[in-house]
This record gives sequence, structure tokens and C-alpha cells, in this order.
Amino acid sequence: MKLEGEYIFDGPREEVWEILRDPEVLAKALPGTQSLEKVAENEYTGQMHVRIGPVSGVFTGKLVVSDELPPESYTLTVEGRGAPGFGKGTGHVQLSEPEEGKTLLQYEGDMQVGGRIANVGQRLIDTASRSMIGQGLDSLNNALQARLVGEVEGIEVEYVPPSEAKFAAGVARDMAKEMLPPPQTLGIMAVVALVALLLGYWLGSRSQVDSD
Amino acid sequence: MTQKHVGRRMTRTEDPRLLTGQALFVDDVQMPGMLHAAFLRSDYAHARLVSIDVSAARERPGVVAVFTAEDMGDDWKHGPPLVSPPPTVEDIVFHSRTHVPLVKDKVRHAGEPLAIVIAESRYIAEDAVEDIWVELEPLEAVVDLEKALDPGAPLVHDDLESNLAAHLVQEKGDYEAAKAQADLVVKRRIYIDRGAAGAMENRGIVAHWDVRAQQLTLWDTTQAPIPIRNGLAAMFGLSSHQVRVIAPFVGGGFGPKIMMYYPEEVLLTWATLKMGRPIKWIEDRRENFFATTQERTQVHYGEMALTKEGRILGVRHDFLHDTGAYDPYGLTVPLNTQSHAMGAYDVPNYSSELKVVFTNKTIVTPVRGAGRPQGIFLAERLLDIAARELGIDRLEIRKKNLIPPDAFPYEHKIIDQAFAPLVFDSGNYLATLERAAAAIGYEKFIAEEQPRLRAEGKHVGLGIVSFVETTGVGPYEGARVTVETDGRVSVATGVGTQGQGHFTSFAQIVADQLGISPRDVRMVTGDTAEFHWGTGTFASRGSVVAANAINAAALSVRNKVLKLASKILETPEEELELADGQVRVADLPHRAIELGELAAMANPLRGAVEPGTEPGLESTDYFGPKYGATANGAHAMILEVDPETMMIEIKRYVTVEDCGTVLNPLILEGQIHGGVALGIANSYYEQLVFDENGQLLNASLADYLIPSATEIPPIEVLHEETRSPLNPLGSKGAGEAGTIPVPSLFAQALEDALQDYGLEILEMPMSPNRLFELLHEESKTP
Amino acid sequence: MNIEYPISVTVNGTRYDRDVEPRLLLSDFLRHDLGLTGTHVGCEHGVCGACTVLFNGQPVRSCLMFAVQADGQEVTTVEALGTPDDLHPIQEAFLEAHGAQCGYCTPGFFMTLVPFLEENPDPTEEEIREAIAGNLCRCTGYQHIVDAVKLAAAKLGS
Repeated sequence: MKLEGEYIFDGPREEVWEILRDPEVLAKALPGTQSLEKVAENEYTGQMHVRIGPVSGVFTGKLVVSDELPPESYTLTVEGRGAPGFGKGTGHVQLSEPEEGKTLLQYEGDMQVGGRIANVGQRLIDTASRSMIGQGLDSLNNALQARLVGEVEGIEVEYVPPSEAKFAAGVARDMAKEMLPPPQTLGIMAVVALVALLLGYWLGSRSQVDSD
Repeated sequence: MTQKHVGRRMTRTEDPRLLTGQALFVDDVQMPGMLHAAFLRSDYAHARLVSIDVSAARERPGVVAVFTAEDMGDDWKHGPPLVSPPPTVEDIVFHSRTHVPLVKDKVRHAGEPLAIVIAESRYIAEDAVEDIWVELEPLEAVVDLEKALDPGAPLVHDDLESNLAAHLVQEKGDYEAAKAQADLVVKRRIYIDRGAAGAMENRGIVAHWDVRAQQLTLWDTTQAPIPIRNGLAAMFGLSSHQVRVIAPFVGGGFGPKIMMYYPEEVLLTWATLKMGRPIKWIEDRRENFFATTQERTQVHYGEMALTKEGRILGVRHDFLHDTGAYDPYGLTVPLNTQSHAMGAYDVPNYSSELKVVFTNKTIVTPVRGAGRPQGIFLAERLLDIAARELGIDRLEIRKKNLIPPDAFPYEHKIIDQAFAPLVFDSGNYLATLERAAAAIGYEKFIAEEQPRLRAEGKHVGLGIVSFVETTGVGPYEGARVTVETDGRVSVATGVGTQGQGHFTSFAQIVADQLGISPRDVRMVTGDTAEFHWGTGTFASRGSVVAANAINAAALSVRNKVLKLASKILETPEEELELADGQVRVADLPHRAIELGELAAMANPLRGAVEPGTEPGLESTDYFGPKYGATANGAHAMILEVDPETMMIEIKRYVTVEDCGTVLNPLILEGQIHGGVALGIANSYYEQLVFDENGQLLNASLADYLIPSATEIPPIEVLHEETRSPLNPLGSKGAGEAGTIPVPSLFAQALEDALQDYGLEILEMPMSPNRLFELLHEESKTP
Repeated sequence: MNIEYPISVTVNGTRYDRDVEPRLLLSDFLRHDLGLTGTHVGCEHGVCGACTVLFNGQPVRSCLMFAVQADGQEVTTVEALGTPDDLHPIQEAFLEAHGAQCGYCTPGFFMTLVPFLEENPDPTEEEIREAIAGNLCRCTGYQHIVDAVKLAAAKLGS
């Protein structure tokens, strides 16, 4: 699966770079992240609770930053696995300043997923990933604003990250937008299936209910 | 003998139990002290097993045991092949690689089991599966059938030089010489993809080793209880009489419920023998998408050579067949494809090179149709294309080439799935096709209706195809028929039942022989304690092989009844008749004796026994056909395509079936309806989608679209009846007939409906999306 | 072990008091705790409809509900319809029209049809097909089921 996109931060490139490379901020920005620890220079391990449609569970993973060219670009390699399956991918992040005080982040990458998350969440992964990245970047931008205000005013402004529930609701909203049935869908069958999937498929695996 | 019940539209005797929820399915078995199993399955399609740590799972409260391949010690073995490998003949290469109970070294398809957890409840067992930490080193997966044979492709089985599982060439006549004479040779690449059987009941097993009785009982959703019993006994060193396999009511079979053995069958048996407690495992739907076998993927490079008049001179197809990660079912499916690649036609020359290929996907074994739909698709498609190129009407070209009624038995001079010569026994192929054409109103539709509808802007098309179905293969089945002292009759046979109405149609046969009501027949199927010789329910053979065994046993009992009654009524046998549960003198109906009374007399008291007397009105008989009976039919349909959305509406669907003697038209219609529904699913809705890593991307019924009542149209079922000369009842199978021709029919009808677009459909399944893509491609390259 | 909660559910007119884990599915509760095995489970994700039961008179997928959600509520299963000697008119119709083959999905169809035929005593074929579109059957191709529903409507109407 290919992932690509861009995002504009309201701040200078150096500040964006710093915030992107701060594991604490990153952990807060992506709700569901239960831990993110630095284990070596440019290497982190962590746990993240992910829910994509019917599939949810905790992923344990590793994140490696390489080809670092501050404050312009770096490569991210992620590998995660857990009861819902596995995922691994490599992404390239590029930062530029199209105008004073704005930073353009462009990313492209390739992601491979397997297990339950691929088997039953397939048609939701694409939208869910894009939504998660989009929302994650939004909250990083919010964190950036908080930091910038703090710097100007000489005080520490606390950044309040979005709650996991709010985050999940955002993902669901984005997915619902894309689910308006295209003309090719299979009539009532698809609608029944979608409703079933959205409302309750996550109950499907008995044990998952417990792990929630 | 007057036929009173065979041929009647009788309602089913098994229904009252099924309709009230009282019929026993495997998951309904409850036993005191029963444990529950769940499996850890591989997320990867191809990976080396580095390590597996089950310690946390073992510590979870409620977990009784966790086993890996290592724990099985010497009991860890590859499964036996399910069907005999091909005879050692020159030109046949066959590498038998069978599956294992638990992965020991290498994972070969996603979903292969790595460990089994046995716990006090299924909930706990599933929790504990998530406690297991497994280290797998992913390997490049073999997914694409054609790339699998590239030099340097990763190997599914490291000890083989390539992913080639089998190689076989079949020749009839001299295709190349025929081709040299031909006015037209059409050549196409044809692709058919995988689907699931999708029985509503997933698989399930309850295994119980009763230590005190030294008796193993297995309730199993299998289509073949007797082979499972024999195999498990041999595998675990038990006498076959110590093993009882019960296939109770089974919620749909469609092929995959016959396997020897699924890893779960071996593991649950192994575990209960070790633990002495009953253990239940019920497959969930996601497991079913990985752990239950599937079928259909083949790539054909096909050719048909014809004269300009449209006579077929020869067919050639070189094809690849996907067998998945292992090949326990041998060559059954691709040999069936070859047996059907000439369709219902008189083809003098044939050449086929088959390569069976290992891939990192779920094992392939027959699914209703079993290689036949692919063969028929090839024959019918090439014929359609040839007709178009020659400017001959598609119905005309078919009539020209059908095997004529006087050509039977028609010897094909190639081997069939049993490695025996392929012979079509009987039929009137022209009659079924003409009947279908008349029923759908072929001439009028082409001449009047279609032009009118097209003028209204409607994309309406018609399809009409012919097909054959090889059925009723050996080796044999048996049955025991017993007259009880209350006048009712008990019948036991080895085949299991998965909804085919065996209880009823078999009872109709017995009722006719013994002059009783079918309602007075107590039927037992699929319990090895009741009958333990036979093979199983597959290859559309129940109404042929098992039915004729029951007929033979009932006839033997009838003879015993007549013999004894003749003595008691002091009347010659010829003057007696069996009716209304009595034996009576034909001309003097008051001189009669009840069957039950006669049964009591047949169990003589001390002193009344003459030497050589067998007690009881009971007989066990067997039937094994010389070769399989071949059914035939024709399907026709009219459909409309919305070229905006590619949604289809099937306006009419007509089938004409000739499956020889019809035992029960009501049940037969149900079989045809269900078969057609699966065919429609295979043609336009269902496809197992794998990514390049061998991950299945639609492993739920939300994504894998089994059609509902709004997709399946009303189906008109008509019959022709050409009795098979191969068995006394004259029956041929019909279980797969509905499914086989549907993809070829769909392709023709879709092309006809979209004829402005000059579309050629050379793959199945289609879907709205795929059709849209094809039309888009066509319009890009006008 | 997980905590269990006391629930009181009325199933087919009988009240059952049980302690259950909150994650116990209603389908498992009915089948395994109460032994009402006529309700079948085909997919565990709410698509196939085999596990359909009536929940306060409305058809629901019992595999998508927890037993605790049924606390204080009324559930009706296939066992409430008829017995082999005294079939419900819908069951009779399925017998006569050969609406069941393997019979696995059938109880789910019945529980969809009971309220449907109460609300639509004289349905058209199209209405019937729409009504049962949430129940999958792999054996019958639906045609004999549709015939059976028409017949059932006639039986119930007379």
C-alpha cells in the first residue's frame, strides 16, 4: 500500500523539525500511543493501540530514523506486530519552506500489512491511515502553536492532546465520508455488509472484546 | 414392480427436526468436562519459524494445555494423501507434498496452524492464543501462478527444484495435424480465479477418548466419516472398531468438508487421547477463509481448430492449476478440467499439457464443480469466439458439434479423475439444448425482443450454453436394510448428508421395493457405528452410488420377505405382492401378513432354526459402478446490464437437466437452484483477493460477497430423462450440474448485452468493478 | 477470571437467572448456557443472519449482542415456534416448499420472517426478497425459500 500526502505547518521549519523529532510530543500527538522509548540514537520502541474498523489491538513496534538531513528530510522505518496482525513500512519525509513562517511537509511511503488487520480491515486501512496521519499532523501543529506561543510569551503553555475517543471519532467520520456507496457497489448487500461492519464487527472475535 | 415413490415430489422426512432446531449439528454436542480449543495461525503466507514461546499462554488461568509441533514428538507426521497419487506412468510427474498438523519449520500459507490452546472455555482459549509469542522470519511469497514457475522464484517446498507439483500430458488423435487442416484456429488466454465454498456452517469437531471404554468418538462436520475413521485408527494405532466417527447434520458441504485430514482432526484426536477429556473446536468464519480448502485458479492457453462450416476439429489447452501450499487431493480437480474441456461436443483431436503449481495459498481441493466449470468455460468460450469469427449463430454451431445420441457410449480416449478411460455413458445432448432454446425463446429474442429493447437503449443480452457433468464415480457404497418387528424399516449407509435430502430420496427407493410408506423408513447416514464401509459424499455420487447400494440391499430384503412369506402363506412367490406394509396374495388380498410380523418370525426361537438359516429380514449390499455416469444439460439466461453502474439484472434463467432417473423432482430442483446460485456467485460476486504477499484481503462475509435473495433470480428447471445404463436405477448425479456452466453462460450473455463495446470476456469471476475496467480498457483501444 | 454479572432474561417465556461475563455473546449464552441450540452461528460478524433471534419482538443478530444487554429483556428463538409434531405455519410452509436443505441458516430466516409476515401479511415477491436479503443461504438459491414465504403468508392469512 502506497501512502503519500502533504501538510502545511504554521511555523518555521526548524521548529517543525524539532517537534517531529521529539518522541514525547509524537507520543502525545498520536492518541493510542501507550509508550514510546528511545532505545538508541534514532531508534525507538513503543506500543500503540490501533483500531481500524473491525480490528483493534495493541501493536508493539520499532521505529528507526535514518538518512537524517536536518532540517530537511529523514527516512522512517516502522515495524509493528500484535494480535491484530503486523505492519511494516518505510516512509520518506521532506520539509520545505514555501513561504516565511510556513513549513510544507511531504511524505511518501510504502506500507505492508498482514494478519487480521489486512484480512478483514482491508478496505478501511487506506482511509483510516490517511485520517490517522492527517489528525496526527493536526495535533502536532497544535502542539507547535502551543510551543511557539510559549516561546513568545516566555511561559510554558501546556499542549492538550486530543483524547483517544475524539481521535477515533475523527477516523470514523473520515471513513464514513468515503463510504457513501459508489455506483458500483452491490446494492443492498453492500449496505447490509457495511452497516454490520460499522456497527459491530469488532465484536466478532470474542477475545478482542476483552482486550479492549 | 410398480414405481410408487421414486419420482414423486415428496416433502422431506428430515425436515421436522431441521425446521424446529432439534437436528444435531456438531456445535450442538455438549459433554460434561468438555474443553475448548483455539489455534494460533500464521499471519504470514511464507515464513520460517524461528521460535515460539507458549509459556505465558500456559500460565493463563483456565488454560489446560498448549501444544506446538515439538510437543507432538513422533506423532507429528505429514498427512496422508487423500486420493491415490497417479499411477507411475511415463509422462506423469507428481510430487506429493501433504500438509502437517502444526508448523514445525516453515509456514506455507497464511492461516497454517502454529499452536493449539486447550482451555475451559473458547473465550479463554482465544485469550491465550494472544499470549503466545512467535518469531517468524518472513520469506518472499509465491502468489502469482505464472511467476511461480519462473527460474529463481522462491520455493514453497525447499526440497523441490521448482514449484511444479505435477506435470501431465493428455492426447487424443493428432491435434497438430487437425490444426493444419483447419480453416480457423482461435487462440485465447483464459483466467479463472479462486473462491470459497462458503457453507453456512463452518467446520467443527468434538473429539472424546473414553478411557474406561477405550473408545474414541469424533463428531465431525466431514463429508467422509468412514475414511476419517479408518485413517485415524491407523494413525493412532487403534482398532477401527475403537473409533466411531459421526457426521451428524452438516450445515452444507460443497466439497471442502472432505479432506484427509484437516490438521484440526488430527490434533483434537491426538489431544483427547493424551488428555482423556472431550475437546471441542468450532471454526470461526475468519479461520474458514484460511483453514478450509478452496478452489478454481487456473490459467489456460487455449486453442480451438475448426472448419469454416463450424465443425470442431480439435481443442488444445496448456494450463496451470493452482494447488495451494500442498497437494493432498492429487490431480482430481485438473483431471476433471480436462474431462470437460471438450464440453458436450464431439471433438476428434485433443491435446492438453497440465502443470500443477504450488503457491503460498490455502490448499486446493474440490469445491462444487471441481475443475469442471473451468473446462466448460474454456470449451464454450472458444466456441463462442469461433462462431463470431465464422459468422455462425451460436446455437447453430453448438448443435453442429454436440455428441449425437447414437454415439454413446462415447469414448474420449483420455483418462478421467480416477485414471480410468473417460467415457460418456448416455444422453441426448441435442434435446436438452433445443429444449433450453425453446424455453428461453431464443429465436424470438434474437429476432424481435433484443432489437426492440436495444432501440429503447437497454443493454440486454442472452446466453445459451451446453455442458456435461461427470458424476457418480466409484469405488463403491454400501447399505444395510432391516425390517423391524414394528413393520418399519431401518436403513444405514456410510455417506453423510449435508442437505441433499438423502433421508427422503433413499427412503423412496426402499419404500418402492418393500411396499411401505417412505415415512416408515428410519434412515441413518454418516455414523460409522451404524455402517462402516464406503467412502463419502462427493462428486455428485450420492444419488448414483449410495442410492443403488440401497436399492440393491432393499431388493435382497424384498427377496427374503417373499421367500419367507411364500412359506407362511403357502403361495408361490410370483403370486405375492408387497403393499401397504404387508405381503399378500395378489388375487386374495385378505390372505396377508404384516411385514413386522414376518420380521418377528424371521428371528426364530430355539429349535425352529434349520441349518443355513440367516436370521432377520436384513441385508447388506454394495454398489460399485463400472465407471461414472455423465449427466448433461443446457442453461440459458437473459440479463440486462446498466452500463453506468455495471449492475446486472437477470431477467430469466432457464436450466434443462438430464441426470437420468429423477428420484425426487422437488429435491432435484433444490439442488439445481443452489448450484446455479453458486455459479452466479462464481461469475459475478465472489472472489478471494490475495495481495502480492499472499495476504487474503477479504476474509469476512462483509467483504466476500455471498449473494443474497436479491441477487439470485427465479430459476426455471426443466428435465430430460435419459437413464444411465450403468446402474439399475438409471440415475446420474446432479449435485454440481447447476454450478458448472454458469461462468460460461455469464460471459456470453454479458458480451451479448454489451455488444456495442466489442467486449471479450476471458476471465472469471467478473464483477461490476472488473467489467467497468474492461470496458474502460476497450474504449481506450478502439 | 473475569467478573460475572447477574442477569435475568426471559427466553421463550421462561425466565432464566444466570451470572455471566460481560463479554459473553448472546448467541453463546442461548446456545451453550441455556442449551437452546436451534439458533445457529454462521459468521460471528453480523452478516449471515443465521443467529437471528427476536429481541423484544424485533429481529436482531444474537452474535452482535452481549448476554448482559438482554438483562430484563425478552428473547424469542426458533424453539418457541413449533415442534416436529406441531409445526408453526412458517415451518409447515418451509416443509411443503422445500425451503430448507442443510437447515443451518433456516432458524435465522424464521426469526426474520415472523415479524415480517406480521407486518406484511400479503407481501410481493420483491418485498420477500428484500426482507430476507440479510439472511444468507448457500444451499437453496433462495427460490424455494421465497416460495415457502408466499405459502406461509397464505397459511397465516387464512
